[in-house]
Amino acid sequence: MSESLRQSLDLSLFWEYRTVLLRGLVFNLYVFLCAASVAITIGLGAALLRINRAWPFRVLGTLHVEIFRNAPDYIMVVWVHFVLPLLLSPILGWRVEFHPFVSAVIALGFVYSGYYAETFRAGIQSIPRGHLEAGRACGMSERLILWRIVMPQVVRKMLPEGLNQLVSLFKATTIVSLIAVPDMMYQVSMVTAQEMRPIPLYTGAALVYFAVVFAVAQAVRLASERWRQSIYA
Amino acid sequence: MTEAPCIRVSELYKRFDMLEVLKGVSFDVHRGSVVSMIGASGSGKSTLLRCINHLETPSAGEVYIDGVPLGFQVDAAGRRRPRPRAEINLLRRDLGMVFQQFNLWPHMTALGNVIEAPIRVRGMSRKEATALGAACLAQVHLEDKANEYPARLSGGQQQRVAIARALAMQPKVLLFDEPTSSLDPELTDEVLTVMRELADTGSTMIVVTHEMRFAREVSDRVMFLHNGTIEEQGPPEQVFGAPVSERCRQFLSKFIA
Repeated sequence: MSESLRQSLDLSLFWEYRTVLLRGLVFNLYVFLCAASVAITIGLGAALLRINRAWPFRVLGTLHVEIFRNAPDYIMVVWVHFVLPLLLSPILGWRVEFHPFVSAVIALGFVYSGYYAETFRAGIQSIPRGHLEAGRACGMSERLILWRIVMPQVVRKMLPEGLNQLVSLFKATTIVSLIAVPDMMYQVSMVTAQEMRPIPLYTGAALVYFAVVFAVAQAVRLASERWRQSIYA
Repeated sequence: MTEAPCIRVSELYKRFDMLEVLKGVSFDVHRGSVVSMIGASGSGKSTLLRCINHLETPSAGEVYIDGVPLGFQVDAAGRRRPRPRAEINLLRRDLGMVFQQFNLWPHMTALGNVIEAPIRVRGMSRKEATALGAACLAQVHLEDKANEYPARLSGGQQQRVAIARALAMQPKVLLFDEPTSSLDPELTDEVLTVMRELADTGSTMIVVTHEMRFAREVSDRVMFLHNGTIEEQGPPEQVFGAPVSERCRQFLSKFIA
């Protein structure tokens, strides 16, 4: 067995630093949960704009989707952290500075809101008109129809795709180390700088991310499948 | 008759872009009566039904439910103002509607479909609504299917659940939009049986249908629509037995085997 392969499989160094590395992973989870809430909320808002009857709203929604879906998350993170404060400071008249965590959540949340907007829009538009008319005929308000009839079906239909996007988002949280959010990748590079043994550290990080994503995604799929399928014949 | 008609349709017009679908339709429906609307495809009968509960907004003309105008209100100064959508939504509770495509909500069980609006719109407690829902399902002979999802029911069963859903709102009038047109002949009968029973218990019904036997045997009045107007109307014996209009005669001749 070659020396480098042996080294990469020897994860004792990773294990040695497990506390600090896992603390990093917890940070990943924080960023992920906050960014996912932002992405889903803003994404739903943008989707509702895109299907609005009034065209100015539709234009606004489309603009949102195109801007954020086509922006690389890497650049967005850097831009929000370093450029946005420079733009905002003169407008607001005081020195704006974002905590790296806040920048990370804003940047990733908005980028993924672009994807979520499209997923929501497709889901909402796939609901047959008749389901809405049946709601109206029963005296339901448009808001009730959205929350009681449309969204429960949309969530079931978009679950596989939405889950994929959450997986992408979780993996994207590793780039926040760029702006010094102390996530796991950040800790890995810190420890690497000290120990000069990158191979087991990066391998260990890759394995941990894989294990977390695989286990959680699989669990969600298994748990939701029956519930999701109940609407189909 | 001194009582206000349950439904009054007055000079109703509906235009889609350049196409005029309804050209001034007026009629009254009194409590407890069953009115069938027949006519060829494109004659405007479904549009007329959908205008009655404002699923389509009429281009002109009015619909009154027990004397209350659905599409407008009169303000303090005596001027007519279009009624806000939210209010129309609420007034529609009194008009139950059954669709050709059933339109059950697939993520809810049969009972869930039936009790949704009573809880959310009428503000009933879940317990009360469940008792009412069970009674409505029993009325359409589906008490044993309460916990099935629509995907597990046959077309006829789905349509009967849809009827139960309309009944649960305890509407003043039931509107049926070709309720059996997407069903096999066998399944058609189970739906028609339920509709007959409803008619026999005094429900007020407006039925758009191609089931001539049903129209003839169950309704108090038959209206034949042609080109957006009521071409012929009267008691079924008259419309089916001795139609005055040539078009009506032609239309009916296709159904007499």
